[in-house]
Amino acid sequence: MPFLSSERIAKHGIEPADLAAGRPYALTDKIKGAVVLQAVDRIAAALDLAPGMKLADARARVPDLRAFDHDPLADAALLDRLAHACLRYTPMVSATPPDALVLDISGCAHFFADETALAHDAEDRLDKAGYNTVWALARTPDAALALARHGLREGAEAQLPVAALAMDDKTHRALERAGLYHIGDLAARPRATLVTRFGSELGLRLDRIMGIEDRPINPLMVEGNVHAERRFAEPLTHLDFALVCLAELFQEAASALEKRGRGARMIRMMLFRCDGAQSILHIETGAPTRDTALFKRLLHERIGALDDPLNPGFGYDLIRLTIIADEPLKAEQYRLEGNEGRNRNDQADDEQALVSQLSARLGRDAIKHFIAADSHIPEQGLLALPALDIRAPHVWDVPHHGEPPLRPLHLFDPPQRIQVVAEVPDGPPHRFTWRRKIHQICLYEGPERIASQWWRKKDGQQAGKGGLTRDYYRIEDVRGRRYWVFRHGLYGSEKANPDWYIHGLFA
Amino acid sequence: MNIVDSDLLRTARSRRPFASRNAGKCDVAHATAALCGEGPLRGAAQTLPHQTRFTFGAKRLDDALCREGQAAGLPLAALHEIHAAESDDSSSAAAFALLMAERARMAVVSSHLPLLWARESRTGRQQGLLYPPGLVELGIDPDGLIMVEADDPLSVLRAGADAAHCVSLAAVIIELAGSRPKGWDLTASRRLSLSAQKSGVPVLCLRQNAAPISPMSPMPPIPSAAYSRWTVASAPSTPLEANAPGHPAFDINLQRHRGGLDGLSARLEWNRDQKYFAEQPATKQEPRRKEPPDIGAGHAVSVIGTDRETRYRTG
Repeated sequence: MPFLSSERIAKHGIEPADLAAGRPYALTDKIKGAVVLQAVDRIAAALDLAPGMKLADARARVPDLRAFDHDPLADAALLDRLAHACLRYTPMVSATPPDALVLDISGCAHFFADETALAHDAEDRLDKAGYNTVWALARTPDAALALARHGLREGAEAQLPVAALAMDDKTHRALERAGLYHIGDLAARPRATLVTRFGSELGLRLDRIMGIEDRPINPLMVEGNVHAERRFAEPLTHLDFALVCLAELFQEAASALEKRGRGARMIRMMLFRCDGAQSILHIETGAPTRDTALFKRLLHERIGALDDPLNPGFGYDLIRLTIIADEPLKAEQYRLEGNEGRNRNDQADDEQALVSQLSARLGRDAIKHFIAADSHIPEQGLLALPALDIRAPHVWDVPHHGEPPLRPLHLFDPPQRIQVVAEVPDGPPHRFTWRRKIHQICLYEGPERIASQWWRKKDGQQAGKGGLTRDYYRIEDVRGRRYWVFRHGLYGSEKANPDWYIHGLFA
Repeated sequence: MNIVDSDLLRTARSRRPFASRNAGKCDVAHATAALCGEGPLRGAAQTLPHQTRFTFGAKRLDDALCREGQAAGLPLAALHEIHAAESDDSSSAAAFALLMAERARMAVVSSHLPLLWARESRTGRQQGLLYPPGLVELGIDPDGLIMVEADDPLSVLRAGADAAHCVSLAAVIIELAGSRPKGWDLTASRRLSLSAQKSGVPVLCLRQNAAPISPMSPMPPIPSAAYSRWTVASAPSTPLEANAPGHPAFDINLQRHRGGLDGLSARLEWNRDQKYFAEQPATKQEPRRKEPPDIGAGHAVSVIGTDRETRYRTG
């Protein structure tokens, strides 16, 4: 879609009168102080305006050029919407920013006469939606992209200019200087010399364009019959938790299957590591099943049988379970006693149902559960994630036996400034004013010194650059209210006259 | 036979959703159901939900709350109101509600059930955010707490009402701020109270910054169908060694009680390790230290009478 950006503006940002008058327009962005064209519409393109020109130059050639702000994010969102729309043709759709969609239509053309008919249908639909398309069919996504971008049809790979390789400009220039203008010229050359001169990347790209080597596209979603997946805000670094999660995912999938009266035969599990690596496991069952205990057993056996054991590395951040094949399985019969057989699972279901219901109503961020933070900075302990997310395993610090609470029940974020009367340099507070009330302190404990995260700061290891240290005091006023206050900065060495803040309220 | 079975199955399945969907709407049917003892059973306890009670752990208080022929303490399946005595007591009132919920959780057999806390999102800025490490310090597992933050009091009440139907919760805490929160009236409290009776889940309504209930106040207090109403204020703690603040202490006062036991008051101290309230002896609590002379804020002054010159200074 060569005019995607400009057509987005045409649909949403321009008055119909201007459109009818046929005034050319362009999308501009400020780059290094100059207003540069980022995209142009069809009319402007016909007037030889091209992205990369300065707006002033373009206006000199075409005085009535209209300019709009370039918005790459909106373009990406639009492309994503179009990609989702193209899921009608094939489950394997991939958005290729800034302006292309790649559809893997192998085996998907049976609803149409052939692949070309499918492509025409897609073109028609996009055209109706107001988006011009150029398309090409090819054996590999790279070939198709190159052909479409250079306005060629299938089989014309050899006529593509070397720029279709999408290497850097230097390489393109070097190739042209060597007299190699077309992909065909390159393909005819012995591969070894090209690779020696320009690197193996060139060979790879050439193979992909010539359809010798395929490149997997990154589809929006891989269709299975039933999926279940979990995303983790904090990656799971322990395999056992991943296995527990897989069992839960299976349970989810099983309940979906139960609604359809089916049981799983083949299960695919994908464990995505946060560093990009992934492991894929397959389990096949002898008979359709929805039994989680059975699945767990199978899973443990499967993992025990792996050649190279699963390595969580930096942690899994996405675990997906797909039921690839399923077969009919009759619904479980409830007992005649009805509700009496309620057990822990039913209760958990009830709770989950409540959480989903409330999340659906109030937004998923409104229902939260707490996560233990691995930080000594007090306000980091406020971490809470949506209750719909699975929580990563964590442990809470156990308070010492017989100690009073050392951390407040309520925390202010940010802390609130108070006026304090205290001994200098580092005495405890004697009284403080907060919210226009004076509090006389009669009991105190402290200071509990909490250093800043100097390692996060530039030159933090040097004196005076690591941030301010906080001295926390647990105090009680004469009326029995307990507060958590701190002095921000060490008197004299870090700050001449440190401020005091109230950070929390004890019960 | 199969047909008969599936028919029965359908009725058995459809019964619960139907009941919960209409609960709160048809109060009469609901009340009748509660009276007939048709509520679902919680855990393995064979007693009816409205007979299960929870205690504070302080014997005098629990015995005083006991009515003839019943166990000590407060009923689980009921709505209880907890008022903060003053705006400065918000944390104490919140803690007291949490600890009551924790005692209630301990009273049911399956004590792994979670607790749901519904509040307005803006109260977090006013009164501070619930701090998980602080919960741990009170002996409450933060993993067992579901936090619901809604934009307005009506949504809070709605979420609370939905949660009160859910039998797999240990307790529901609804936090409302202000003297007249929108939507909080006799109908709302009656509805919550009936839901609590039906499900057996205690509902605790935490009222922050509610005007002190006195006959002299110009606005009459909002009538409420709560079983009990407590006013909570923080109390001076028993100092630990080196004059350190001690365990959380509360001054509680029973303002209203279904059994007519109002006027009961106590000073309680929370024991985190054993998870019970201990009553502090009712000593006359005077300010424990004479206030030093008012030296004002914003000036550095010398205090005479110390061996070295100590400067007081404002922060």
